[in-house]
Amino acid sequence: MSGGAPLLERLFQPGQLQTAFQPVFEVADGRRTPHFLECLTRGPAGTNLARAGVLFEYVRRKGKECAFDRVCVASVLEAAASLPGEPRLSLNVHASTLERDAGFPELLLRLAEEAGISPRRLVLEIVEHAPAWGGPRALKAIESLRRAGLALALDDIGLGQSNYRLILECHPDYFKIDAYLVQGCQHDPRRQAILDSLVRLADRFGSRVVAEGVESNAELLALRLLGVDLLQGYLLARPASAEEFKAAALGGRGA
Amino acid sequence: MAQRLLIVDDEEAIVFAMQRYFRSRGFDVDCARELEEAEALLSHSAYAVVIADLRLTGVHGAEGLEILSFIREHCPWTKAILLTAYGSIDLEREARERGVSLMLRKPQPLPDLAHAVLALVQEPA
Repeated sequence: MSGGAPLLERLFQPGQLQTAFQPVFEVADGRRTPHFLECLTRGPAGTNLARAGVLFEYVRRKGKECAFDRVCVASVLEAAASLPGEPRLSLNVHASTLERDAGFPELLLRLAEEAGISPRRLVLEIVEHAPAWGGPRALKAIESLRRAGLALALDDIGLGQSNYRLILECHPDYFKIDAYLVQGCQHDPRRQAILDSLVRLADRFGSRVVAEGVESNAELLALRLLGVDLLQGYLLARPASAEEFKAAALGGRGA
Repeated sequence: MAQRLLIVDDEEAIVFAMQRYFRSRGFDVDCARELEEAEALLSHSAYAVVIADLRLTGVHGAEGLEILSFIREHCPWTKAILLTAYGSIDLEREARERGVSLMLRKPQPLPDLAHAVLALVQEPA
């Protein structure tokens, strides 16, 4: 292992986490407009935790989601403060953190203020991997963040614990549909049936659907036909650092 | 396509030597130094073979057995080799109950270990 300190300790040392930003685009009338940027955290370079999926699985297996969510929020807001313009930003947090960490909303709002980012620019993406959604304290936390101006997204809908109960109790502004349901949807009637039902469900809730993991024009077209107009994936833009966004802005083109 | 191999050991020198040896023989190698790191990797990638030391730094004292259980539950297609310097009949029975493919004594010459890995990947599933 590079760096000497045990892996878990390294995650909590300053400067070890990296942030990338991946846009969600609104696609309509042949035009693509950035809707918000998702802030993505990666672990220390040169370790297994540089892979996001491995990073978060490791942290959950260590039982450190709450502490790590705090570090992630601090890290991504610091990185986001240097982005050009004033894009809307989405941040990921475990539902279990909102339930267990009563100070999290206050911390998030304070860090946003310190970074000069209005809460109205923020979307909180809730992801849940714990088997049960406990409820009352998390709902209170969500209410307080909504009052402060944040929008809410449910991540990984269709997989894991992002279930109907979460949809009902959180009433998200955005349903983020996992790439598992998106990829190959153009030639899979069963995936299309599930996507169609989620689009209708979101519509009934007054929410919007974001399709993740869009990698081909055929998928994009199929999603548009199903009524999905918020899209994210390598086809549209790969994750990029704040420096890459700044360089692109200076060059007069989108990152 | 290269066979994927996961090496789980907390001794840096052993990890380094095994990683270099198997990479030079065309394997796609990942390494983990602790139980949770190995489990996180196994949750996100499909490995043909895992080579795990019985004892890693941690609270269990027999993390290699935990890895065998994890593999049996989450990725039963993966073959597992358990390395140990503390062999006993009880341990061997426990490892077999948890689905180990092969138990080998530490230290194990790398050519012998490679021979064992190749035999496992050529075995029918």
